[in-house]
Amino acid sequence: MGTQTAGPMTSRERVLAALKREPVDRTPVCNPTSVATVELMDLVDAPFPDANRNPELMARLAATGHTELGFDTIMPVFTIIQESSALGCKIQWEQKDNWPTVKMREPIWEDVDDIRIPADLLTHQDTKCVLDAIRILKKEFGDDVAIIGKTMGPWSLGYHCFGVEPFLLMSLDDPDKTKACLDRMKEVTVDFGVAQIEAGADALTLPDHATGDLVSGEYYKRYLRDLHIEFVERIPIPLILHICGRTVDRMEYIAQTGMSAFHYDSKNEPGESMAVVKERISLVGNINNPETLFSKGPEAVRQEVFRNLDAGVHLVGPECAIPLQTSIENLKEIPGAVRDWHREQAAN
Amino acid sequence: MGRILDIGGRIELVSMDPHFHEITIGLYRQERDGGPVYRVHTYSGRTGSDERIAFVADAMTVLGGMERAPDGLLRFPCGEPHELACRRIFLEACKLASGSEVVARPLTILDRKSGLNMTVSGLGEGAYRVGAEGEGKDGARRIPVVAGGLVKLGEMQSRSLDTVAFSCGYDHDAAVGLLLVRAPNVRAAVREQDTAGSRGVLAAPSQQR
Repeated sequence: MGTQTAGPMTSRERVLAALKREPVDRTPVCNPTSVATVELMDLVDAPFPDANRNPELMARLAATGHTELGFDTIMPVFTIIQESSALGCKIQWEQKDNWPTVKMREPIWEDVDDIRIPADLLTHQDTKCVLDAIRILKKEFGDDVAIIGKTMGPWSLGYHCFGVEPFLLMSLDDPDKTKACLDRMKEVTVDFGVAQIEAGADALTLPDHATGDLVSGEYYKRYLRDLHIEFVERIPIPLILHICGRTVDRMEYIAQTGMSAFHYDSKNEPGESMAVVKERISLVGNINNPETLFSKGPEAVRQEVFRNLDAGVHLVGPECAIPLQTSIENLKEIPGAVRDWHREQAAN
Repeated sequence: MGRILDIGGRIELVSMDPHFHEITIGLYRQERDGGPVYRVHTYSGRTGSDERIAFVADAMTVLGGMERAPDGLLRFPCGEPHELACRRIFLEACKLASGSEVVARPLTILDRKSGLNMTVSGLGEGAYRVGAEGEGKDGARRIPVVAGGLVKLGEMQSRSLDTVAFSCGYDHDAAVGLLLVRAPNVRAAVREQDTAGSRGVLAAPSQQR
């Protein structure tokens, strides 16, 4: 873990240093995924679903993660469906208090040859919204705060475009075809990622939902490790891989990819996770969402922050996109606890 | 930096007010020397939101028998928290449109399962007895169910199969009338609350339908 530096760092400097496992003045508080809540939506008059489709609203809501909660990052891509919408998936946009989802029971592709990246991938309303929001945030927050974008990995896109069950069955029945599909879909990940860099993103979250509940570590190695290595080579910016669930069985492979960081779930203990990655990759996380941030109080949040800091986790934040009804009090406790922990360390 | 107010811990939330531009309304608890006080709050800056919040808070005084503390926040006259009851009063107040007539609920309700009128009689010092009147059936079985519902929804104490009481020793007729509406089917009330609370939790694609 990084050591104390001589002078204070900006949030952006702190985050980028931690992603490289370089010295920091304190552990950065980072949200590779959404920290939007219904109350923050009210505060800046930027409610879902509009805040997922209008760049001004998206930027305004995302900025509250820094201006109101005190995080060192701003992450405007709240959903996981922006590029799937641009690919042609049917979207259930929902209301203010719920997440938009892809209608995966109505898949758009069945075979490799069905996969076509539309010419308007980056000019479609729902991808352009992200790019424009990043531009707005870059202009407003300049070099002070780390702007994190998001580009979905091909495994997640496979779920969205083929449907979860058909895609998983294909991966069992026909590995070559599955790899061919991933190979085509990866171009979406690269194109959207590079476009966000050009818009001003400092780092990108790359969710690729080879989740612990459905996919083994061996599966990750077989289908995704090399693809993720390729992403590191082709997307010239720190990448934060995000996979939900129990993932210790694949952290060794993830650490081999060259990704800057892994955004890990609370189903993995901080200590065991740090022992696996061995400083080859930074860890970001892993404050539990449903039980701690959503259902408990600030003291429980504080204890989870301390557990991560004690284990030497490089960047602290929620494990995944937080529930939209999460209390602001609990979210503000994360940076507060990080500061207090460092104060205690300095005093000792 | 910072437009977030230090207004205590949030204990309940209506994420979309159906009666005022779908604003989010929270109920916050603050500790004071004389017992906890509650604040109804929205972060919405929409014109008219202050009036909406004032209506909800006023409705809580009627529906739940709460009162205004000197600083305008809400409390129970006994000074005890009665937090679960307060949350229920808040949720019911938010269901009312601004400007609508707010009246305390009566201490009697038609129990649809039995066809009986379930009545609650105050015994003084915070105690209430549940009884049944009318042509329906299963009174002996339904009375303990309703009493149990009051215990669960209002954090009351069970004194016998038909008698419940607030530990504070004070009467809370309005709150009991409000809780009585849900007491015959407390499971449905809890289920409804759980469903509302679980909205907005993002599931991984593998868990989505």
